[in-house]
Amino acid sequence: MNNQEQHLAAARFLALLRPIQRDLENYSRRMVFDRRDFEDALQNAVLRAFRAFDRYHDDASFRAWMFKILTNEIFAINRKRGRVAQFEIAVEPEEVEEFATLDFAGEMPLSWETLADALDEELLTALQSLNGAERAVLLMRGIGDLRYREISECLGIPLGSVMGNLSRARQKMRAAILRVRRLRRAGVQPLWNEGGRSSL
Amino acid sequence: MKCAEVRKFVRLYLDSELDAKNSFEVEQHLESCVECAGLFEAEKKFDVRLGRFLRDGHATRALWENIEAQIAPVRRAKLRALWPIALAVSLLIAAGAAFLTKSRSLDLANAVEECHSAYVHQLTAPEFNGPVPDKIAQQFGGQLDTAAFAYLPSQTTFSSSGARLCHVEGVPVALILGHCGKTPVSMIVFKKSEIDRFPETKRKLESGDPIACSHSGRYQFAARFVDDHVVCVVGDRPRPALEDLLRTVRRADG
Repeated sequence: MNNQEQHLAAARFLALLRPIQRDLENYSRRMVFDRRDFEDALQNAVLRAFRAFDRYHDDASFRAWMFKILTNEIFAINRKRGRVAQFEIAVEPEEVEEFATLDFAGEMPLSWETLADALDEELLTALQSLNGAERAVLLMRGIGDLRYREISECLGIPLGSVMGNLSRARQKMRAAILRVRRLRRAGVQPLWNEGGRSSL
Repeated sequence: MKCAEVRKFVRLYLDSELDAKNSFEVEQHLESCVECAGLFEAEKKFDVRLGRFLRDGHATRALWENIEAQIAPVRRAKLRALWPIALAVSLLIAAGAAFLTKSRSLDLANAVEECHSAYVHQLTAPEFNGPVPDKIAQQFGGQLDTAAFAYLPSQTTFSSSGARLCHVEGVPVALILGHCGKTPVSMIVFKKSEIDRFPETKRKLESGDPIACSHSGRYQFAARFVDDHVVCVVGDRPRPALEDLLRTVRRADG
């Protein structure tokens, strides 16, 4: 690649990167186990992506491609901290079927409406109740706005696992928020950092 | 579709993962079933709340500038290796240019070239539209004011795509990015009190010329005083067109 081509590639890469910088940073902040790592993860991932930019194809989603690279970087950094993402959780075909038959109405009557008013600290505590896989899937959907198929490709897990983890993540979030509220009503201060995670 | 069937699809529907046929049937059902519509609405509200919480946070400017600096200077680094040749060629060109013509770029025109060039090559982009965000205004340090971002040409050929804070020779400036037709045009506005940093331009503007024109690298440049600000326009446009554009610049909120 000559100078001019490199310059154009850098310009093109940055033009694609800038609109998603905030989402990538939020994702990195919330995914690293130790908050001191989020900048390293972000920087390593972006530079790695730029070096591999000639292998990126226009027909693919740049957003999904970047999230994949960032996720790999975060997992590598978390591994150094002794934290392994639990993607080995097997999701059987029946689980996909089960997902489609979940009866959400059973949970609805008292809680759902009030959960829309959840406080930041309640959501934070609830987020900390998720394991690595659930957290990754929920953040990829909630921050990255990625499709199920894209999340599946990013994490290298079957579509059923994405759906299963996402469903579990949301149910655990709801349950955790309600638990925090119950504890509060009982006059007990909920634990803020149950898993030793220092990121948000 | 019946209630039980529709409720199975609540998540897939809200995540836009449901196929068109089922989505249509879900929507039809929701129009006629208050209970299911309430259920979907409640779930949607929680999604919105969760999304707002998860996305709450800003891009750290210093961090991203540092990352971008490691990507953008590739070209400069490569050029550095060729500096002896580049220097020799530059000297020859400079000597030739000085011999053939006495005209040269104004100091301010030279200084703003980089801003405009970065915009043309998509290395920089607008940070905001509309009122100046507080976190940006906090960086003015008394050297700039929000009014600088309110200047716009009344000429309809110019369309603004937004603005950002930039520094030119250490002077904070409002960089308003836009187009005339398909040509990128930058407008740089800063306080008149900072013009001392650019003595050549100051001399020219205070000598009675209402507009100071020059080359800005490969671009054309024009500057003038408007109220208590200096307004410059830079772009790959004919000089008269740029001057005409500059003459129509007014404070949009004035």
